[in-house]
Amino acid sequence: MNYAFLIDNRRCIGCHACSVACKAEHEVPLGVARTWVKYVEKGVFPETRRTFQVTRCNHCDDAPCVEICPTTALFRRRDGIVDFDGNRCIGCKACMQGCPYDALYIDPQTETAAKCNFCAHKVEVGLEPPCVTVCPTQAIVAGDLDDPASRLVHLVARESVQVRKPEKGTKPKVFYIDGDAASLVPSAAPPMSEYMWSQAPPTPAAFGAMAASEEGGGPRRTYGVREQHRNSWGWKVSAYLWTKSLAAGCFLAPALAALASGARGPEPVPLLAALFFLAATGLLLVWDLRQPKRFLWTLTRPQWRSWLTRGSYVIAAYGALLALQLLMALAGREAPRGLTPITMLFAGGTALYTAFLFGQAKGRDLWQSPLLGPHLVVQAMTAGSALFVPAWLLWLLPLNGLLVAGEAWGHHATEDARRAARLIQEDRRFTTGVLAVGHLLPLTLLWGTGQSWLAGALALAGLATWEHLYVQAPQQVPLS
Amino acid sequence: MTLDRLSPGSGLQAFPPPETWDDWREYDPKEWPRRVEKRYMLVPTVCFNCEAACGLLAYVDKDAMRVRKFEGNPLHPASRGRNCAKGPATINQIHDPERILHPLRRAGRRGDGQWRRASWDEVLDEIGGRIRAAFREGRRNEVMYHVGRPGHERTMDRILKAWGIDGHNSHTNVCSSSARLGYALWSGYDRPSPDHANARFILLLSSHLEAGHYFNPHAQRIVEGKLAGARLAVMDPRLSNTASVADYWLPTYPGSEAAVLLAMAKVILDEGRADLAYLERWTNWRHFMADRHPGGELRFDSFVAELTEHYREFTPEMAEAESGVPREKIVEVARLIGAARGAFASHVWRGSASGNLGGWQVSRALQLLTVLTASVGTPGGTSPHGWNKYKPVFWEEPPGQKQWNDLLFPKEWPLSHYEMSFLLPHFLKEGRGKLDVYFTRVYNPVWTNPDGLTWLEVLKDEALVGLHAALTPTWNETAVFADYVLPMGMAGERHDIQSQETQDGRWVSFRQPVLRAARERMGESFRFTYEANPGEVWEEDEFWIELSWRIDPDGALGIRRWFESPFRPGEKLTVADYYRWIFENAVPGLPAAAAAQGLAPLDYMRRHGAFLVATGVHGLQESPVAVPAGAAKDPVTGLVTAAGKAIGVEIDGNVVAGWPTPSRRLEVFSPTMKEWGWPEEALPGYIRSHVHRSALDAAKGEMVLIPTFRLPTLIHTRSGNAKYLNEISHRNPVWIHTTDARRLGLRTGDRVRVTTEIGYFVNRVWVTEAIAPGVVACSHHMGRWRLHEGEGSRWAAARVSLQQTPDGGWLMRQLDGLGPFASADPDSRRIWWSDGGVHQNLTFAVHPDPVSGMHCWHQKVVVSRGEPEDRYGDVFVDTQRSMEVYREWLGKTRPGPGPGGLRRPLWLDRPLRPAEEMFKA
Repeated sequence: MNYAFLIDNRRCIGCHACSVACKAEHEVPLGVARTWVKYVEKGVFPETRRTFQVTRCNHCDDAPCVEICPTTALFRRRDGIVDFDGNRCIGCKACMQGCPYDALYIDPQTETAAKCNFCAHKVEVGLEPPCVTVCPTQAIVAGDLDDPASRLVHLVARESVQVRKPEKGTKPKVFYIDGDAASLVPSAAPPMSEYMWSQAPPTPAAFGAMAASEEGGGPRRTYGVREQHRNSWGWKVSAYLWTKSLAAGCFLAPALAALASGARGPEPVPLLAALFFLAATGLLLVWDLRQPKRFLWTLTRPQWRSWLTRGSYVIAAYGALLALQLLMALAGREAPRGLTPITMLFAGGTALYTAFLFGQAKGRDLWQSPLLGPHLVVQAMTAGSALFVPAWLLWLLPLNGLLVAGEAWGHHATEDARRAARLIQEDRRFTTGVLAVGHLLPLTLLWGTGQSWLAGALALAGLATWEHLYVQAPQQVPLS
Repeated sequence: MTLDRLSPGSGLQAFPPPETWDDWREYDPKEWPRRVEKRYMLVPTVCFNCEAACGLLAYVDKDAMRVRKFEGNPLHPASRGRNCAKGPATINQIHDPERILHPLRRAGRRGDGQWRRASWDEVLDEIGGRIRAAFREGRRNEVMYHVGRPGHERTMDRILKAWGIDGHNSHTNVCSSSARLGYALWSGYDRPSPDHANARFILLLSSHLEAGHYFNPHAQRIVEGKLAGARLAVMDPRLSNTASVADYWLPTYPGSEAAVLLAMAKVILDEGRADLAYLERWTNWRHFMADRHPGGELRFDSFVAELTEHYREFTPEMAEAESGVPREKIVEVARLIGAARGAFASHVWRGSASGNLGGWQVSRALQLLTVLTASVGTPGGTSPHGWNKYKPVFWEEPPGQKQWNDLLFPKEWPLSHYEMSFLLPHFLKEGRGKLDVYFTRVYNPVWTNPDGLTWLEVLKDEALVGLHAALTPTWNETAVFADYVLPMGMAGERHDIQSQETQDGRWVSFRQPVLRAARERMGESFRFTYEANPGEVWEEDEFWIELSWRIDPDGALGIRRWFESPFRPGEKLTVADYYRWIFENAVPGLPAAAAAQGLAPLDYMRRHGAFLVATGVHGLQESPVAVPAGAAKDPVTGLVTAAGKAIGVEIDGNVVAGWPTPSRRLEVFSPTMKEWGWPEEALPGYIRSHVHRSALDAAKGEMVLIPTFRLPTLIHTRSGNAKYLNEISHRNPVWIHTTDARRLGLRTGDRVRVTTEIGYFVNRVWVTEAIAPGVVACSHHMGRWRLHEGEGSRWAAARVSLQQTPDGGWLMRQLDGLGPFASADPDSRRIWWSDGGVHQNLTFAVHPDPVSGMHCWHQKVVVSRGEPEDRYGDVFVDTQRSMEVYREWLGKTRPGPGPGGLRRPLWLDRPLRPAEEMFKA
């Protein structure tokens, strides 16, 4: 059994009945939507045409939201429906990064993630979802892909069908007859600041709005809803990356220096600093949850494929090792041989795991970068050195600069990744903040005056700015 | 807990089977994925948003005894279980925390916003006493009922005739009366009933895939027809959603539609694509020839030649010059229409017909194509509405009233198809009469009608309007100026029967108060529906019965007897009596269908909500007629008359019914038009609109404003309290073509002043390729306002100030936009939009068509960047100027009486038809 939707655009008249029937069935709050109808206009008068696209969760066979969810709040049922359980959700919004289709939102009533669940509560008693039954023109078909007798299978086999973003490899299961590229591809007609009979819902703008031409014959969106994924990870996540770099680097750099000088491990001060930043990291992570009281569920109700879960364990283990080392150092006892390398391994893991987490964020093309892993380790080393081994900045800053340049100007596999990279390139916080203040100035200071504390501070500011741009920019790229 | 699946395997059904409706169980979606069972009683009712009367199925939560949601009713023959967005949004309207739950009596001066709660008894006593006094003093025409959305069949006809007053007023002359007149002149039937599902070619001068009569049932069948191979063409200067999915979009310049249609007719005639045999058999060509050549030989081939000659000026080139649509496209569509012979479905209802002076010639020209292709009343063609619409009869019919109300049918418009409703305040201001008791019912003229501030001035004047009672399910701008605001139920809170000509088939549907129905099914009983509805929300059926008894408590006025039970003589009629009698006696086939299920007819309708009376109704004009003794036959035309009335027509030796016209044929030539002062319009023709290019002053930058276009998500001013609908659509920017915007230096979002004959409004622009150059459009529905806190709906209405300027004008200014507010519904705090649009209708002068009486909606306007003091949402109106424009249009009329000293032709239908002697002036 494998349920799927088919949207027959030969029949769709853009009436929004499905959207309203869905809201009524689930009492979906104002401001968010499980299914909606996108309008796109093309052409110049009198050859203008408006197309409609029912837009919703794809119930992917390989659902990235399920993979990234740390607590099994999102799950794929045996009948192929991707369902969710708000009672298990911690509100981490990772699913909103994972989904390349902008299907998820945080329900303002429950403060947990939600989306189209194929009305599993209806399907289980043998009824079609209300969006299907309400449709005046029967443009929405719900059916079982494994049932050769179903109307859905019949239509999918007989007609040419399209899906949204097949290149994501998610195996989406909302099929469109007469799917229109200008509607299927979100950036072909990006969201606008207003629509033909409505305002565009306000979205916090981290960057200037993506400019779109309102004139001429190119495709333009004339009705849309709020891009729900947009800026769902805000400054707390950017800051978490930065404190995490510090937490890892405050151990890594001094430990390396200590090992190089023959000591068993770092002094108590860097250990204290690492623990402090690790605590800050945890605090930011919990603070960013929409259900902060449920933060322990990542450990107690783990979904093992999620790097959010795995990362939580890495951080927890790293914290325990740090505490152990600190206790021994404070007690004046030398750390046993091998403890420092093991802690270094977990420090490295703490820095590195986010690359895998971001890799699971299928909605963010820019983050699908092979440079991200090495870059996170270098960032951690840079951050730690800025505080404790400033001399190393002389080689770490150029190295980090190279990686930054690679992320910003290097080859990007997709148009959406390039779009996000371009947002970074064109942002003055990047040129001034990251490149000039964060790299060139501290290097100049180190070469010229040896003002190492100031150089370190500037380098840390540069790192923070970069994290913020890197976290925010891909969230501006339209997904639906 | 686990519920059983309806069927094994993975197959899904659209609806719970009807036999489970008494106790349907499904999982609670709010608790999901926890499997928590919910128990519902599913009660069918009928949507009360637009006029289509689609079926709804109320899910009554049996534990909370509350309506949880509305889905479609799969047993409804027209909507077939499906709905537009407004169907499921009914739940918002039912649970709207802003709705009026109790009768309100004004506490301060009229319009001051002071209200106190009243009891239904108090309401009935005061209004009943006042009407009784008026009737006893012979002031019957001072009582008037003015309706926007009827939602029932013949109910008010019966009630007002029982009262013996000529007091029915409607919204039709701001809606559809031009199109109706054009259709009626052809066949006596004033509405089309296209069979889209079986058509080969569909031509819409409307946007039936998103709005209008009858959006959802028509959209289903248009798409069905299209998938089966029909081609679809849409005439509309604006790219509607309908035009977007058409095979041919013909963006006709506003008002040029009849020219294009006649050019198509000419192509069909010239190229021999017309069905001449049909024309010969069914048009009144003999009358045409006899009129042209008195005493001459009546030859059909001469008629065809003369008809062709009559339309010689309508070349594709001329049509292109008028409309802007390329001639090749006009010819191509004409040929396809010709090729669709017998299966050409078409529709015009408002659109072009209601926008333009002479709009009634648009429907007449469209029907010419239907006649030329012999598609009248055929499968896949366009039937007269009467063939597909069910109308009830009653156990006893009150006679026609012995009154004629000149406020409704004044002498200047002897052919006006409906009441001159939108001129009521102008007539009152002129001293043509006054009103003692005025009911507005689901009607919002202050907002909807043109020149609303003249309405406001008159409604505030207690010397002109003695008592105003607003019967309404929601707050509206007119109710604010009432003495009583009387909350009446919405879709699931009232009884009605309704039927519409939506398809090839005739059906009747039953609206019912679902909580009352559910609780009665569980054994409770109620005296009045307001005992089961939220608050004290009532329904009109019971209200009118109670009121009639208070008007005539002892029966002395002869009114009470009409409101007594047909089953219990002398006792008060109940709604159950009323519908029981109709379902048992006046719906063919229903008693048998009910009996087959072991049900009484009323119980059958309570459980099914609808009944299909007939399908495949075609060719009724060929029905044989029994000729009474003493009938006369006209040897030339074949017309058969009895007692001076046409009863049929003899064709090929058989007397058949024909059409309800004076000739019993399809009147391509209308003697009525000729005799009543419009000889130049005796045939389908083209009248240059009041917004024709030649009427615009290019030097002033005048453009045409289309102010009537509707959205798929809203219905007039009744859906403002549906949050899910407002979220999707809440503002109405002025659509302007890219080239016009460039000329004026405008970009999307820029503020503009739109100046009309009598004032201006300030809105923002939407620069688009989806409208013809030279034309601007602003959608209906939006720009709702409220004057005081505590009245009006905060979901959709912005608070405004309304002040008279020193020179007598009115200035309305928005004080704040829309925004979150606290209420029992947590969603009201989540309103994220701040703009509810701009009210444009206030700035429109009245434009009564001199023939049909229809308000011609399109406006000559100047779009400019405005003045620095302009603020978004400003509306300025000079009502003295609006009276002048009224008089200008009054000057276009050709007043009656007509032949025989009649006020209007006897054969043309008239709402609330009075006794025949009243037609004599």
